[in-house]
Amino acid sequence: MTEQTLEKNKKKIKISNLHEIGLLIALILVLLLFSFTTENFFTQRNFTSILRSASYVGLIAFPMTFVLITREIDISVGPSVAWSGLFFVILIKWYDFSYFSSAVIVILWGILLGYFIGIARTKLFIPTFITTLALWSALRGYSLFVTEGRPIAISNKEFRYLFGGDILGLPTVTWIMLGAFLVFWFASKYTVTGTNFYAVGGNPKAARNIGINVDRVKILALIGTSLFSAIVGILFVARVSSGNANLADGMEFDVIAAVVVGGTALAGAVGTMTGTLLGCVFIAMISNGLIHWGIDPDLNKVVKGIIIFLAVVINSNVTFKSNSGGPKED
Amino acid sequence: MEILELNNISKSFGAIKALDDVTLSLRSGEVLGLMGDNGAGKSTLIKIIAGNFKQSSGTINFENQKVEFSKPMEARDKGIEVVYQDLALCDNLTAASNIFLTREIKRNFGLIKIINFSEMFKRAKDIFKDLKSETLPDEEVKMMSGGQRQAVAIGRTKLSKAKVVLLDEPTAAISVRQVAEVLELIKQLKNQGIAVVIISHRMPDVFAVSDRIAVLRRGQLVANKLAKESSPEEVTALITGAIEKA
Repeated sequence: MTEQTLEKNKKKIKISNLHEIGLLIALILVLLLFSFTTENFFTQRNFTSILRSASYVGLIAFPMTFVLITREIDISVGPSVAWSGLFFVILIKWYDFSYFSSAVIVILWGILLGYFIGIARTKLFIPTFITTLALWSALRGYSLFVTEGRPIAISNKEFRYLFGGDILGLPTVTWIMLGAFLVFWFASKYTVTGTNFYAVGGNPKAARNIGINVDRVKILALIGTSLFSAIVGILFVARVSSGNANLADGMEFDVIAAVVVGGTALAGAVGTMTGTLLGCVFIAMISNGLIHWGIDPDLNKVVKGIIIFLAVVINSNVTFKSNSGGPKED
Repeated sequence: MEILELNNISKSFGAIKALDDVTLSLRSGEVLGLMGDNGAGKSTLIKIIAGNFKQSSGTINFENQKVEFSKPMEARDKGIEVVYQDLALCDNLTAASNIFLTREIKRNFGLIKIINFSEMFKRAKDIFKDLKSETLPDEEVKMMSGGQRQAVAIGRTKLSKAKVVLLDEPTAAISVRQVAEVLELIKQLKNQGIAVVIISHRMPDVFAVSDRIAVLRRGQLVANKLAKESSPEEVTALITGAIEKA
């Protein structure tokens, strides 16, 4: 009996890591495929470029993982990034704020926005999909209105070199992303806050009964994505030296795709930060490789659409299989 | 020793009298089977003991002191725990994480608090050993059988050193073999001097573990007697009203 249970346990460990191992294998296969079929894919410069785009996505994908785990979603991150960057530039150019105080204000804005989405969800019972859909439209629309669709340039070399450039051979944003990954990975595995995200996603009613403040946990998760959208907005400005209402177009798709490809269930409860990290690199590598293949950017989107669909198919099957080994009648 | 005494408890919801002058007491190490038809007032009584509801009239004594609970947390702090029918477990967490949820053991590293999993696994293992259950602390609950899930839910009451455990339909919706497992868990609680109230529709299960049987009908206590002096037939008659009182 005990041996049987142990045997079952070993099998369970295999299933829970299956997704990450599978994704790693897929990542290596895609890497080999592009490396052998194109000339300029397997170069240090190109890898830096892949890492850079994976890093911007990753910074929002880690908090998004928590949001999805708690059974919520934030689809406003693309316009939120664009507006945050624009807001940052407007404060500097139009209102003569310093870079530092502008950054602080934009970060506070991000926290406030997430808090608003969270309050709308927990006190007014508006699904996060609806609130963030409204924001998706409103933030992009307002950004275009304020700028009349034109970019607002800033010129500050120190700011650009420090946050838009490289440190020790890696993009600054990649270092920031790796730091964020460590924090989120650690939080998800070893802290009470992290455990509470999983508990709320696993059984919200039970979590409430036991005494977890479910509303606060959800608000915290939603503050995460908005806060990091604000940070990424500022980092984008550092990269392109301007605020632009059309920036980060479709970024919500890349972020959610990376999280889902990384094995997080849209229905909540399941997901890991390691999976999300792999998902970000995977999505960035495919986007990059398709460009090297000379495929039309519009078709690139089609391919990404197919990938996210397949990822969900695989994901839900793995989840389904590991669940069906679950509460059995004997 | 009487650990819990309910004196003349009544509860009305508007014009409906859910409980009518119920007097009942419970000793440490005693298993009380609380029976009755749907709407007889079983759940209301449990909820009053657990602090979910306040009685309209009557008093509750716990360890010979008058108590008034305005919320479940207060009852829990005194040592009264409820294991609900739907178990209130998070499937995606391990058995140990479920037992320690909101009461995690932490290690301090300066400002950062880290969950001490090895200690939690160790303590959970001891709890399951006490309950004579084969549940593994580091296994996710979704992989578990109904009996093991009950062990996790009951394990949570062990952590808080509960003195009274209220079990709401612990043997509903599980297989015969697992019922035996759950009944064994209840016996272990009894052996450790914990007072247990079990609400159930399953007559054989109640008679298998209960020392005493109490029957509610339309809010009134119609029987409160030793299990060995009663029989399933009598209890059935009391529940349906074929026998007025026993």
